Amino acid sequence: MFFLRNLSHTINLHPSYFGPHMKEFLLRNLHGDVEGTCSGRVGFIICVLTVTNISPGKVLPGSGLAEFVVQYQAIVFKPYKGEVVDAIVTSVNQIGFFADVGPLQVFVAQKLMPNDFKFDSNGPCYRGDDQMIEKNGQVRLKIVGLKYQATQINAVGTIKEDYLGQIQ
Amino acid sequence: MEPEEEEPEEMEPELMEEEFDANGNVIPRKDKVDIGKPTNFALPPKAVAKEDRTTTPYMTKYERARVLGARALQISMNAPVLVDLEGETDSLNIAMKELNNKMIPLVVRRYLPDNTYEDWEVSEMILP
Repeated sequence: MFFLRNLSHTINLHPSYFGPHMKEFLLRNLHGDVEGTCSGRVGFIICVLTVTNISPGKVLPGSGLAEFVVQYQAIVFKPYKGEVVDAIVTSVNQIGFFADVGPLQVFVAQKLMPNDFKFDSNGPCYRGDDQMIEKNGQVRLKIVGLKYQATQINAVGTIKEDYLGQIQ
Repeated sequence: MEPEEEEPEEMEPELMEEEFDANGNVIPRKDKVDIGKPTNFALPPKAVAKEDRTTTPYMTKYERARVLGARALQISMNAPVLVDLEGETDSLNIAMKELNNKMIPLVVRRYLPDNTYEDWEVSEMILP
């Protein structure tokens, strides 16, 4: 699911960036550091919408750098167990297939496909009675398992339910 | 004609123990200092408003040393210099020159024992 969240990020700015254009450097740093990252707590940070506050810089003793705390609003994508999502198949093998939901990679094992699905090494693809799952195809799947790690989220999906599977 | 009634003499405020406002609440006396509760250092320190600051406007020699050191380090790391160099190359000498011209863009944060702090801009302080 997508959320709009208020987050904060600490930037240590090198003295060579001090001066009248400091704010632009801070914003550029913020976008570069934060967008596209993933954390188990927040999810995937898709993009920064607005910067709500930039704290006054604080001189760090000894290093000469200045520490700024930037508060911003960002769109985040956090997957949940039981969520139904549309995905694009990236690779198919004997054990199952991998599909991408934006930045999230989901694995669907053969056991979590309908019983009529058979692996076909020509392609390679999975063939059911009236559908076929191959690379770059679109599938609708349900997330059944999620593992949140510090910098990564792993997901396991299923298509063994009504209305799941290939999207025509 | 009735004789004009004398207005009752007002009690002098100095003699009163406590003053009350219209709602019966005690008005704190200005000659008594409320020492309040013991300081809780677990809380984040609070800032003192600029007009309520009480510490000396003189920069102490310790603050001078800290400010010069921090600024000289920044200058040595390629921070933009705010004074005319006049051929000066040593970062500490440049920092001293900036301090003498009150151009150092730093703020001294003085932490006080009651878990508050006062911010003094280097440019407004009196140099030692």
